[in-house]
Amino acid sequence: MTIRGLRILPPFAIGRLGSSPEPLENYDVRVAEDDPLGFRQIHGAETLVVDRHRGTIVRSYTPRSIKFKDAGGRVKPVAPFLEVWADVDGVLVPLTTSLLAENKLSVDDVEWRAQVGNLKAFRRTNKPPDRIEADTGWFRGHGLHLLTGRCENFLRGRSIPFGDVQFISPGRKFPEIRLRFTPAKGLIYGAKKRSQEGDLTGGVVYDTRRGTWSGYSDSYARPTSIVTAPSPIYANLDDPRSTSRGYLDDECDGIVEVRIMADKRPVLQAFARIGAGPPDFAPDSFPVRTVADELEQALLGPNPDNDEVSLEWTEEIIRRAFETVRLQNTAALNGNPIDGGVANSMSTQDTNWNRAQEPIMAPAIVDSKALQALHQSVFAAIRSGSATWFGQVLRKFDEVGDLTDRGRRKMPAMMRGADGLHLALTRRQYNAVLGSGNKQATSEDARAATFTAPTTPPGKETE
Amino acid sequence: MRNFVGRYLPPPAPRGARKAAAGKLLLPNELSWHDYAVFLLHVAAEVEHSLMVQYLYAAYSLGGAEIKDGRHEDARQWREVILGIAKEEMGHLITVQNILRLIGGPLHLEREDYPFRSDFYPFYFKLEPATKDSLAKYVVAEAPEDWLKTAKGKLIRDRARKADNQREILPVGTLYEKLIDLFKDRHALTADDFRTDTEPYQANWDEWGRGYGDGQRGNMGLTSPRGTPHLLVMRTTDRHSVLDALHSIAKQGEAPTLDTGRKNPDQKSHFERFLTIYEAFPEDDPPSRNIPTNPSTVERQNDDPVKASLACTIITAPESLLWANLFNVRYRKLLFTLKHALHVKAGDAVDRPTARGNLIAWTFGEMYNLRSIAGILVTLPLCEDGGDARAAPPFEVAYTLALPDWDSDKWRVQRDLILASARIIRELDEQLGPTHEPHREYLRALRDHDKRELEVVETLLTAAADFEAEQEASS
Repeated sequence: MTIRGLRILPPFAIGRLGSSPEPLENYDVRVAEDDPLGFRQIHGAETLVVDRHRGTIVRSYTPRSIKFKDAGGRVKPVAPFLEVWADVDGVLVPLTTSLLAENKLSVDDVEWRAQVGNLKAFRRTNKPPDRIEADTGWFRGHGLHLLTGRCENFLRGRSIPFGDVQFISPGRKFPEIRLRFTPAKGLIYGAKKRSQEGDLTGGVVYDTRRGTWSGYSDSYARPTSIVTAPSPIYANLDDPRSTSRGYLDDECDGIVEVRIMADKRPVLQAFARIGAGPPDFAPDSFPVRTVADELEQALLGPNPDNDEVSLEWTEEIIRRAFETVRLQNTAALNGNPIDGGVANSMSTQDTNWNRAQEPIMAPAIVDSKALQALHQSVFAAIRSGSATWFGQVLRKFDEVGDLTDRGRRKMPAMMRGADGLHLALTRRQYNAVLGSGNKQATSEDARAATFTAPTTPPGKETE
Repeated sequence: MRNFVGRYLPPPAPRGARKAAAGKLLLPNELSWHDYAVFLLHVAAEVEHSLMVQYLYAAYSLGGAEIKDGRHEDARQWREVILGIAKEEMGHLITVQNILRLIGGPLHLEREDYPFRSDFYPFYFKLEPATKDSLAKYVVAEAPEDWLKTAKGKLIRDRARKADNQREILPVGTLYEKLIDLFKDRHALTADDFRTDTEPYQANWDEWGRGYGDGQRGNMGLTSPRGTPHLLVMRTTDRHSVLDALHSIAKQGEAPTLDTGRKNPDQKSHFERFLTIYEAFPEDDPPSRNIPTNPSTVERQNDDPVKASLACTIITAPESLLWANLFNVRYRKLLFTLKHALHVKAGDAVDRPTARGNLIAWTFGEMYNLRSIAGILVTLPLCEDGGDARAAPPFEVAYTLALPDWDSDKWRVQRDLILASARIIRELDEQLGPTHEPHREYLRALRDHDKRELEVVETLLTAAADFEAEQEASS
């Protein structure tokens, strides 16, 4: 059982901020068979309980229910484990103390390092002293290693805690080699300004005498400025210049590395990515397009194989569509006048491109209940076996800037993509929907038809 | 309508009839001009509705696993084109409702049931799988008059006549010509006949078009002529806009050369699209499913020899029968919801759920349900004792589509329809065998959807009832 290589799984672990000292229990999300249009159901899954002082797993259990906040009302952070797997003759197996021993290695030969950063201010100012970074350096042992975010433009002695990492001590019951990343609390930091002090739950860290983040404003005229569309998507004073309030948060992302040392030299190593984002306030609903879809497209390309596409895939996309609608005030997002004004929405943001500001869809048909009902009817129809007939309504990736009535009404509607234009499905998702329709419409497929044909020759079904 | 239509046919001779100033129109004795306009619009609505249903049925029939090799792609293309035409007929039906609304006539979504035909209807209503004969009828019904005099036109007209119990097919354009003449005539219909306050009740393209314009939807395979299907949902505000709407409908479907000054019909017209399919369609072994003519959930008496030739085929397989019942309930729900939606004014409130918004969404939802249930029906056996024949959607007409006077009662009908549907769904769920898991999944989704819809209906019903009670108390 010679170890040929290492992997850290998952290769990308997303933590979620939370101020509770109790991490969130593990859970699965499933669709209830007898309630296909309802909320996804959250089921407790095997959860490892860590003694943070000793760095050991004290027990595992399956929670009967999941509570996202603790008794004090604080949000529980999502603290993912990063497990080391070993390539043993082409097969990935968990790296354990016994496997290390078989290779004449021990836990003491395992070293970790985590490097994370929050470059949001730097992304705007383009000034390297605004980079906030933390580096644990290589470490052994099972104590907590704080991810202390330091920045040249911070006040002396100030930092932003990004959470911590801990190499979990493997034991007899849990002999696997793993590291836990516990993200930060979700606090707001900033510069000293009397009017804003109440907002700064994390405190004053930024030195306005050195850095320019507080008071910064996006400018198309500045050659070094990388302006987004729409541009001022940072906390600002809501003034004509969109002057930055200088706020900072304790989100971060970066890399975790593991290596195995022999004769003071690394002989095996691997890395994974970690990140921390805000809590999931709708864990029983999925967005129509997720980071997972992006990664899948990056990994597997924009064209799914014919045997990959299925009605179930299309069904999942539609389910996510009505789940997304369920969370939205679609009337506001459509640009309907509400209380005498119009909410910030794609209908207002389209004016950045010199388009007249007007609702996207007919105002009377966009309330959330009506749109949910419509999407759920489409979902039911797909379940019946009807081939997807709505491919032409989907926005293609190169139509995100089509601001005609017809273009803006394509699906997904009323949502903004990463480039500031209208959201489209990934090309892979789009092709999957079209592919499932085509698959049913191909002559070789017995279910060929907009209206399903028998899967067996006529008369055979009743035999 | 069905019982009385004969009394309002155009008089055979001028005796007893008053001539319009234009000299073209003859007014039936028992009607005023305005009344006659409402009558003709009702006939137009029935014709559009009937054509739509028959075209849908023909489209549903195309395809299936039993088709011979090489015909699947043809079937798929023809199905897509005919479905596009059916959708356009739906647009015509809605536009006709808008005109009715403008001149203060009652909306009309009823249609003839089989077997029925009046002298205004192009042919006997008959749900039948697509064949060269049935297509001949559709071609002639949609044909321009001049074309019918050509050699090719005569041949197809003869074939269509034979297929329709030796009755001459009436081009639908004739009806629209009559309507156009009537609405043009300022003495027949005066300015007073056009209401100026109906626009908020009328359907408009933004709410009802769903992107089916210029072939942007419904032409996935790009096999329909460029720019089709193109749904016409036209609001009308005065005489001019009515004439525009009638001309547009006539041009799109029934009389493509009418008043256009063109010698060759537009390939986008229904006529041209049907003719193209007709010419390519095989004489034998049509690429159609083995589904019946005029499927029915009940046995019907056929004493009349003509009616006997249009006999219904009863669906006897118990599970198929239940699906057919479910189809009928959802068909009624579609029509009732559409009518209900057209009675709710487009209000100023656009920042909260509205009855109109929900009714429009539900109307489209029911179209998807009909599509789904039809898709299931054509895979199920027709007869209890087995055999190759498959069932099919019956499109049976409900006993009434009339809207109750009180708003709360309209919501009660919505509730009744959901509850009736729920009972059938429950029964079906109990009957389905383990091999029908996909059908069961559909039923679960439908049941779930209805449960949510019922909650909204109950809320609207209570609100309407409370409002009515307040009104009653204050009067």
